[in-house]
Amino acid sequence: MSPTYTDLESAIVAFLVRAKKPTDDLSPERSLYSGGLGLDSLEAAELSVILEDTFGTDPFSEGESMPQVLGDIFAFYGVAPAAA
Amino acid sequence: MSNTGSAGDPDDYRPAEHYDRVTDAWRLLLGDELHYGVFETGNEPLATATAALTSRMIDGAQLQPDLDVLDVGCGTGAPACRLAAEFGVRVLGITTSEAGVATATERAASMRLPDARFEVRDGMANGLPDESFDRVWVLESAHLMRERDDLVSECARVLRPGGRLVLCDLLRHRDIPFAEVRARNRDFVTLRAAFGDAHFEPLAYYAEAAERHGLTVERRDDLTTATLPTFDSWRTNAAEHRRTTIDALGVESYDAFVSSCDILEGFWRDGTFGYGLIAAVKPTAQVA
Repeated sequence: MSPTYTDLESAIVAFLVRAKKPTDDLSPERSLYSGGLGLDSLEAAELSVILEDTFGTDPFSEGESMPQVLGDIFAFYGVAPAAA
Repeated sequence: MSNTGSAGDPDDYRPAEHYDRVTDAWRLLLGDELHYGVFETGNEPLATATAALTSRMIDGAQLQPDLDVLDVGCGTGAPACRLAAEFGVRVLGITTSEAGVATATERAASMRLPDARFEVRDGMANGLPDESFDRVWVLESAHLMRERDDLVSECARVLRPGGRLVLCDLLRHRDIPFAEVRARNRDFVTLRAAFGDAHFEPLAYYAEAAERHGLTVERRDDLTTATLPTFDSWRTNAAEHRRTTIDALGVESYDAFVSSCDILEGFWRDGTFGYGLIAAVKPTAQVA
């Protein structure tokens, strides 16, 4: 399944809400880890599982390198937020 | 080390009562002292083993009457009250939980211990004056703080010269690669459900942090093997008090706890996690 940006955003936001992480800024340059969304390795693993379960693939397991910012996840699925 | 903030009926939520009830249930599972035990033979009762861990902390702290002691992550105040009652020290217990402070304050009042006080403060930024305590006591609370270096820094800052830090906690003996975290995601999620959002560090991390913040480490004890029988004791308690603890915590938390005993025991045995203690002293000022 190839997600749209809206699909992907919905899945990520649902995860962040459940993990009690900020959802106010989902810009591509936002770090997934300290100083950004604040995920630890367990939370990143949970996001990885959710993305695979939802979309069939996930950038943490199958990407060329571990995602560091939200834009890395968007790029893996070939989507981008609409220009403001 | 319990995650005492879970479960309860949200329509009938009174924090202090809820905290008491949940804490009582955790006491049935973990034993009265609510922490791991240090076993000499493996066959002694859990209460003997938890007392042995507390005694190691007391030995590391070298307590004497009239000292000012800071208990970081004081829970419901049982250790702080014990220290004030048995050693004649003045204890300030701090926790980020208002319900914990309320419960601990009631405990101190009921024991007529005016020298055991409790305040809502964050161990990673406690806001207390520099060099205002003779001892800092951190019993199984470090793993619940996101920035462990900030915790150690604050402990060192508030110690007077000659003062001592004692800290015991769960440890991580090796790095866990992301692929392993992902593969064992279900186990880690179960542990978090049972014990909260925990992060473990190696014993060397705490020792190096203490040294980095100006303390001299005098003792570092790896207690991994000695704490292993704790899980057997917890499983036995869970089976014995199943109905009572399910009523207080909910069946999901109960099941997560029981599963966690098996998961943690496996991690203990395969060398991933363990337990340790450090004691460190703040040097007295050098005379020029």
